[in-house]
Amino acid sequence: MDFKLSAANKMIQKTAKEFCEREIPKIDAAMAEAHDYPSDLMQTFAKARMLGMTIPKEYGGLGSSNLNCVLMCEEFGKTGSTSFLPLIMNISVAETIHHYGNEEQKKKFLPPLCDGTAWATTAFTEPATGSDPTMLQTTAEPDGDFFVLNGAKRFISMANKPGYGIFYCKDLSCTDPRKNCTAFIVDKTSPGMTFSGHYEFMGLDNADTCDVFLKDVRVPKENILGVQGKGFNILLRWIAGERIQQAASMVGGGQACLDESMKYAKERQVGGQPMAYMQGFYWMFAEMKMKIEACRMLVYKTVALQDEGERFEVDSAGLKVFVTPMMQDVARMALQTHGSYGYSKEYKVEKLFRMAMHAGVVASSTEINKTIVGMALLMS
Amino acid sequence: MNIIVCIKQVPNVKEVKWDPDTGNLIRTGLPSIINVNDKNALEAALVLKEKHGGKVTVISMGPPQVEESLREALGMGVDEAVQLSDKAFAGADCWATSHTLALAVKKLSGADLVLLGVEAMDGNTAQVGPELAEALGLPILSYALSIDVDGKAVKVTQKLGDVVRVLEADLPAVITVEKEANEPRVAPMDCVLEACEKDVPVWKAETIGADEENCGLKGSPTRLRKIFSPKVTRGQVELFSGSLDEVAEKFVAKLKELYYL
Ligand SMILES: Cc1cc2nc3c(=O)[nH]c(=O)nc-3n(C[C@H](O)[C@H](O)[C@H](O)COP(=O)(O)OP(=O)(O)OC[C@H]3O[C@@H](n4cnc5c(N)ncnc54)[C@H](O)[C@@H]3O)c2cc1C
Repeated sequence: MDFKLSAANKMIQKTAKEFCEREIPKIDAAMAEAHDYPSDLMQTFAKARMLGMTIPKEYGGLGSSNLNCVLMCEEFGKTGSTSFLPLIMNISVAETIHHYGNEEQKKKFLPPLCDGTAWATTAFTEPATGSDPTMLQTTAEPDGDFFVLNGAKRFISMANKPGYGIFYCKDLSCTDPRKNCTAFIVDKTSPGMTFSGHYEFMGLDNADTCDVFLKDVRVPKENILGVQGKGFNILLRWIAGERIQQAASMVGGGQACLDESMKYAKERQVGGQPMAYMQGFYWMFAEMKMKIEACRMLVYKTVALQDEGERFEVDSAGLKVFVTPMMQDVARMALQTHGSYGYSKEYKVEKLFRMAMHAGVVASSTEINKTIVGMALLMS
Repeated sequence: MNIIVCIKQVPNVKEVKWDPDTGNLIRTGLPSIINVNDKNALEAALVLKEKHGGKVTVISMGPPQVEESLREALGMGVDEAVQLSDKAFAGADCWATSHTLALAVKKLSGADLVLLGVEAMDGNTAQVGPELAEALGLPILSYALSIDVDGKAVKVTQKLGDVVRVLEADLPAVITVEKEANEPRVAPMDCVLEACEKDVPVWKAETIGADEENCGLKGSPTRLRKIFSPKVTRGQVELFSGSLDEVAEKFVAKLKELYYL
């Protein structure tokens, strides 16, 4: 068992760190002004060659590992910035198309996702459900060489940005109600698609997440991804990868919480000495450190399964169950260390705390993941 | 166009810690980085290559771990890297360093331009560039803010304190690049991954035909006697009040009292 990162892994980590230090402040400032992602965000990522990390070179990717992708996410997580969400989405949607798509689909959709001309989206959640596929109400009805999509999708990230989304719909041509979820690759500029304004969230400042309304949106049959009626399996696998990336960014966020707290506590004087030397605080730092370390190791172990081509869906669910509360606790301790300053927007930990709260509900809730792990245990 | 860039690996002084008891620099565990100015030299070289075509080679003299910095330079888009590592090179001063670098440049069959950072963060002498030019018998254009190559000539804007002037020389030439010259690029991930696979040859004293007497500590005419942090003595501030004449009188009296006049 090798716990060491390779020289190449370390270089990816170092480069991502440098990118974050240099570019993220500029991107965040642009986002704060526009209340949206900068329109050239994907080009920034494309120039840094961060997109398509795991996609083979022949489709415009880098042909690298999921581990390298995760190391990148960890660095982005340290910044507390929302801007890496579109990056993760492009990488994970491209990976899904690469895994399930046929050759034509790969040739058509992967290059624009890798060169940043397309923004990726995943659209599952609806007003009536976020966790239960049997409740999907957006329908897909066959019409010659097309399917016609009607319905509404809720909380869809980057939905109104040009590019492609994987839309999960109730396929009216499937008779078995348990096997009627079909995944379609949809051009988001198709006629019949309209969007609500952005949601305002507790964290993920200036994220572009909105509702999508589909009115007779025509999608060619050749855009069905994977097997018709088996869309839910695709969703589960996509979300399993997304959870690893999310967990990695949470670990990065946790690390930033510890770093910020140590810095603050070494400077802040209490009773004539830096408060870091009060046992209550350095015990807290020890706890934070070990929580971060344990979560990081679990992230690396889970992504190793993915890189080795093993099944990783249940492990990734377990990862979410473990990492989310741990890192949220670390964020809480960081806020506490800072006293009232931690509650003020002047300090980074306030943003990191709000950011940490998203992981319990975005990209599947913690409870659903407990269900996945629990059921897998009972069935094994 | 053929460009050689010389880079130095230095401790990241942003993260330097001092031992409070001994006052010494704690070197263990200190991360190493490419000297800041040298990254500007790399960026300048890559921009020139993008404009004029050709090849950029990076060389660095130092212990085995300089390989990491060389790979970082490869990640930025440099074509080839050569590492100069030999016990005989250890402890080199500016003269011995420039002598060794000059031999390596010659071994690479020279170049149209040799670029360096103005100075290293850990030594701050700014001598290696000019001494390298001397050793190679080439013109030196130091403190460059911008570099323009036109045919067989190079034009540089030079920053000397508050003065900015334009220098011109024929190629080949040696240029030292200022920090303000550009913003070094963040390495694109595909180049980083390729950089990890590339071959980085290690050259020893004998590879470049160096006489060990002229390398490292042995070949260094400079001897360092002592390093110390200057004592900071806190001054007292005294403010004078009154009319302009009164203040001037009081000030002169004070200077006399302190034997400055
Ligand atoms: C910022 C942000 C961005 C988002 N981006 C996207 C996106 O791009 N695409 C997309 O499709 N969605 C997106 N979502 C939606 C998100 O993925 C869903 O909200 C999430 O999956 C939960 O669904 P729900 O809110 O409908 O909760 P519900 O499914 O209604 O669940 C409510 C509660 O019941 C629990 N619960 C439900 N079923 C079970 C069960 N079987 N066992 C145990 N507990 C259960 C849940 O854990 C939860 O606590 C985004 C959400 C946010 C906040």
